[in-house]
Amino acid sequence: MNPVNAISFWFARKAQLWLAKKVPVVSSISLHRKNIFILPTTHGLLFAAATILVFVTAINYILSLAFALAFLMVSVFVLSILHAFRNLQHLNVRAAGAEPVFAGEDATFVILLQRNAGRFHEILELFFPKGLTSHANLLDGDQERVNVYLPTHRRGLLKAPRLRVQTRFPLGLWCAWSTLDLGMSCLVYPAPVASTMPGAVTASHSGKAESTHPGTEDFHGLRSYQPGDSLKHVAWKNLARGQGLKVKQFVDNVDDRFMLDWEMYHGLDTEERLSRLCYWVLSLSRSNVEYGLRLPGVDIPIGRGDAHRERLLSALALWNLKVAHDQGREHGGEGTWT
Amino acid sequence: MDIAYQIPRLALLWVLSSVLLVVLPHVLRLPAWITVLALACIIWRLLIFVGRANYPGKLVKAVLVMVVLPLTVVQTRAQGVGVDAAVTLLLLGVVFKLLEMQYKRDIVIVIALCYVLIMVGFIYSQTIPASLYSLMSATVITGALISLNRDNARNTFANNSRLAARIVLQAIPLTIVLFVLVPRVSPLWTMPLPVSQTRTGITDEMTPGDISSLGRSAELAFRVSFDGAAPAHQQLYWRGLVLDFFDGRTWRRAGSSFLSFNMVSRSASPSRGIGQGTPVAYDVILEPTQQTWLYALQLAELNAQDIAQDRNYTLQTSKPISQRMRYQVRSYLENQTDLELTGTQLARSLQMPEDDNNPLSLAMAQEWRATSSGDREYVQQVMSHFREEQFYYTLNPPLLSEASIDDFLFNTREGFCGHYAGTFVYLMRAAGIPARVVVGYQGGEYNRFEDYTMVYQYNAHAWAEVWFEGEGWVQFDPTGAVAPERISLGVEAVFADQPGFMEDSGFSMMRFRDYQWLNTLRLRLDALDYAWNRWVVSYDEDLQLDLMDELFGENARSGLMIALGIGTSLFFGIVAFFMLRGGRGAARDPATRLYLTLAADLAELGIPRRVGEGAGDYCRRVAMERPDLASDMEQVTRVYEQLSYASGGRQDDTELQSLLEEFRKVLRGMRLRLLSRSKRVGLTLSELGRSR
Repeated sequence: MNPVNAISFWFARKAQLWLAKKVPVVSSISLHRKNIFILPTTHGLLFAAATILVFVTAINYILSLAFALAFLMVSVFVLSILHAFRNLQHLNVRAAGAEPVFAGEDATFVILLQRNAGRFHEILELFFPKGLTSHANLLDGDQERVNVYLPTHRRGLLKAPRLRVQTRFPLGLWCAWSTLDLGMSCLVYPAPVASTMPGAVTASHSGKAESTHPGTEDFHGLRSYQPGDSLKHVAWKNLARGQGLKVKQFVDNVDDRFMLDWEMYHGLDTEERLSRLCYWVLSLSRSNVEYGLRLPGVDIPIGRGDAHRERLLSALALWNLKVAHDQGREHGGEGTWT
Repeated sequence: MDIAYQIPRLALLWVLSSVLLVVLPHVLRLPAWITVLALACIIWRLLIFVGRANYPGKLVKAVLVMVVLPLTVVQTRAQGVGVDAAVTLLLLGVVFKLLEMQYKRDIVIVIALCYVLIMVGFIYSQTIPASLYSLMSATVITGALISLNRDNARNTFANNSRLAARIVLQAIPLTIVLFVLVPRVSPLWTMPLPVSQTRTGITDEMTPGDISSLGRSAELAFRVSFDGAAPAHQQLYWRGLVLDFFDGRTWRRAGSSFLSFNMVSRSASPSRGIGQGTPVAYDVILEPTQQTWLYALQLAELNAQDIAQDRNYTLQTSKPISQRMRYQVRSYLENQTDLELTGTQLARSLQMPEDDNNPLSLAMAQEWRATSSGDREYVQQVMSHFREEQFYYTLNPPLLSEASIDDFLFNTREGFCGHYAGTFVYLMRAAGIPARVVVGYQGGEYNRFEDYTMVYQYNAHAWAEVWFEGEGWVQFDPTGAVAPERISLGVEAVFADQPGFMEDSGFSMMRFRDYQWLNTLRLRLDALDYAWNRWVVSYDEDLQLDLMDELFGENARSGLMIALGIGTSLFFGIVAFFMLRGGRGAARDPATRLYLTLAADLAELGIPRRVGEGAGDYCRRVAMERPDLASDMEQVTRVYEQLSYASGGRQDDTELQSLLEEFRKVLRGMRLRLLSRSKRVGLTLSELGRSR
C-alpha cells in the first residue's frame, strides 16, 4: 500500500469510526441537529461566485444598492441552509426489511419514511453509495415507503452500507444529508444457472412413486414467472391479455423425490456448483415434488413448500462464507458481505 | 442521462420570466437590435419548450455569433469601451445561453447571470422604483431556483411564489443588518462609468437667454440639508462657475478649464479668503450633471480628496459627475476674498470684447464713472438705473441684435437674469472696475417633511461679483434690482403665470402646486426620495462611522464589528427559531384528529378519555355511563377502527377517502344529537362546523 493510499485509508477509517459514534446503528431514527450535515452544492458555489462578483462590483462602483443586492444574496444563501435543514429535520427513517434476491439482481431495501405533525419533506433523495437514487416526497400522507436499490454481485448476506438520505430543496444551493446505518441486510441467493441434472440422484430411503417432474413433454398449467425461467415458456398471450407474466409448465412423469447433492457437479468450483444447485432448487420447487439438499456440513432432509425452499436457498446463500468475508471488506463501498 | 440533471418544465417558464424581467430595464438604453435579438431568443426558447422548435444547431449558433460579433464591435467603437459595451456582452451571453439551456447547470448559470444583470441596472439607476423592481426580480429569480429544484406535485406557480416570497422576506432583515454594518471599503480599482451624452443644468457658457431655457425645466438640480436653521432665501446664492471672458455675446471661463483649475489651497495664502462669523454647515446631494463643478455658498470650505477649490472659489471635481454625488460643505456667509488681485486676475476681470460694438453703453459707463465720486457710487448708480428705468424680468426675452449690450440697455429692456448679470459686468468693466459673472442657482424650496431644501433647474441664476480696493470681491445681483421678489420669494412666485415656465417638464406635479393636497403629496414623495438618497444610496464609510460614533463613542470600528456579529447572529437566530421549532409531535391522520374532537366533547360531559385507553375500551365505558349514547359511540368507534386499520394497511386512496367521509358523517350525526340532548355541553353550531 503506498503512502497516499495509506493516509486516505486512515482518514476513511477515522471518518467511519466518527460516524459510527455520531450516527450509530439503529433500525429507526429521527433526523435532527446531530445527524444532519450540510454542505454547499456546485450550484451553491456558482451562486456564491455570482454574489462575490456583485459585491466586488459594488465596491468598485460604490453602488449602495449593489451592496444591498449582494447582502440579499448572502442572506438568501445563508438562510437556505435553514430551509434545507428543515426539510430533513424530524424526518423519521425506519428500516422495513428487504426481500431476498438472486446475485446480480438489485437488492431492494424498503425504507419507511414518516413525518411529524406540521412538517413536510420534499424532494428527498435516498441512495446507497454506488446505488441508484430513489426519490420521495412526504406531503399528503403521514408515511411513505421507498425502495432503495443496491446492486448485488455475489451470494451471501449483504449488509447494507450507510444509507444516504439527502435533500437539496428548496434552492439547490445546499445539500443537507444524513448517512444512516439502519442495520439492514439482504439475503442474496446464488445466481441460478440452468443445467442438466447429471445422473439424477434420487432419494434413497423411500420408494419411487409416479409423479410429475418438470420437463418438456406435457402441458401442465400456468404459473407465475420466476427468475431462471426460460423465455421460451412464457405465455405471451396471457401477458398480452394483461394477466401478468406467466410461464407454461410442462412436466415429465418421473420419480418425485430428489436429493440435490454437492457431489452432483463434481469438477466445478464452489460458486458454479451452488448456482446450479440453486437452479434445481427453484425448478423442483415449482413442481410438486419433494427434494432435499446435501452440502458439506449441511444436510437438509427432503421436504416441500415455500419455507422449505427458502431454507434450501438460504443454505446455498450462506454456505461456507468465511472465505468471502475478507473479500467483502475491500468493497466497503458497496456494503459488507458476511 | 440522470433525471436529476433535467429541468422541470415549469422551471423553464420561471427562468424565462426572470430573464425578461432583468433584461427589460436595459432595453431603453441599449440599441434596438439587441432588444430584438433578446426577445427573439426568449421566444425561440419558449417555442422549444412547447415543442414547436428545436435547439439551434452548430451552424445556426456559428451564424449568430458571426453576425452579432461585428455588430458588437461596431457598437463598442461608437460608444467606447465602457460599461455599456460590457452590459451588451453580458446580456447577449445570457440570451444565447438560453438557447442551449438543457441541463440544470445551464439554468443555474443563467440565474447567476440574472443576479449580475440586476446589479448592472443599479449602475444606471438607484431610485426607489428601480430598487423595488429589482427586489421583485430577485424574488422571481429565487422562485426560478425553487421551481428548478421542486420536481414534484407542489411545483406550481402559487406554491413557488409563496416560498420565494417567504425566503426573500426572511432574508430582508439580515440584509439590512449586513447593509448597515458590514464595513465599507474603498474601491479596489477604478472602473469606467457609463457616460451620458446629455448634460443637464448650467453649462460653462452663458449667452443671454441660455439660462432662461432652464427656467422651463422643473428637474431637480440638488438637495441641501442644513445643520441647524437654513439661511434666508435671499442668501441662498449657490455658486457654480465664474465666467470672466466676454466675447461680445457669450460669457465663458477665461483660459482653458484646465488652466483655471488651479489647486491653490487657501491655507497657503491666507490673504485670499477669510471667513468670519459662524459657518453654515450643510450637506448637498447633487443630481448627475456630467459636468465637473459643484455648487456651494460663498465662501465654501470642505474636506474631500477628490474635490478642489480653484482661484475663483468654485469647487471642481476631476471627473464628470455621472452619478448622484453627496458632499458636505461649510460656508462662511460673511467673508472677505482676494484683497489683492494678481496681474492675470486683474486682466481677466477687466477684459472687454476685442471688437466691441456697444459704443452707447461704453460711453454711458465712462460718463457715469467720471461723474461719480467712487467705484461704490458708480455701482449704485447702475443698480438704480436697472431699478428705476423700465426694465422687465421675463422668461421669454426678445432676441438681441449683434450689439447685444446696447440693444438690451437702450432698446428691448426685457431680460432674464443672464441679461442683467452680463450687462452689469460689462458696465463695470467699461468703467475700469474689475467684475465677473457668476452662474449657479438662487433660492430653493424648503421641504418641511425631511427638513431640507430642494433646488430645481428653474432656480438657475446668474449674478455678478465686483472687486473693490481694500474690500475684495463683493456680490451684486442686478436681477434683484429689477425683480426683488425673484430673490426674496423665488422664481416660482414671479413666473407662475408666465408662459413657458416649467414648460419642458410636461405633466409635472409641480404644475399643480396650487392644490394643497397634491403639493403636500409632491413634497412628501420628494422627501422620501431624499431620505432614500441620503441614507441608502449615499450610505458610505463616513456615514457608517458617524452612526457608530453615536452608538459606541470612541470605539467606532471595533463597535462596528461587534454590532455586526451580534446583529447577524440575532436575526439568523430569530429566523432559525421560528423555522425549526415544533415538529416534534407525531403527525396525526385526519381520522384521529376528528376522533379527538369527539373525545374532547365527551370529556366536557364528564367522561374523559384516559391516558393510553384504546378506542374500544373507551367506547365500552362511554356506553356504560351514558346508555343513550351507546349506539352512536359504537358506530363511530367501529368506523374509526376500520380507518386506523385501513391507513396502516395502505389500502388504496379512494377507499380510504370514502371511509373518512363516512366517519365524518357518523361523527357529525353523533355530535348533533349530543347538542340536542344536552345544552349544558355548550356546543354551538359553529363549533360543530369545525368537525367537518
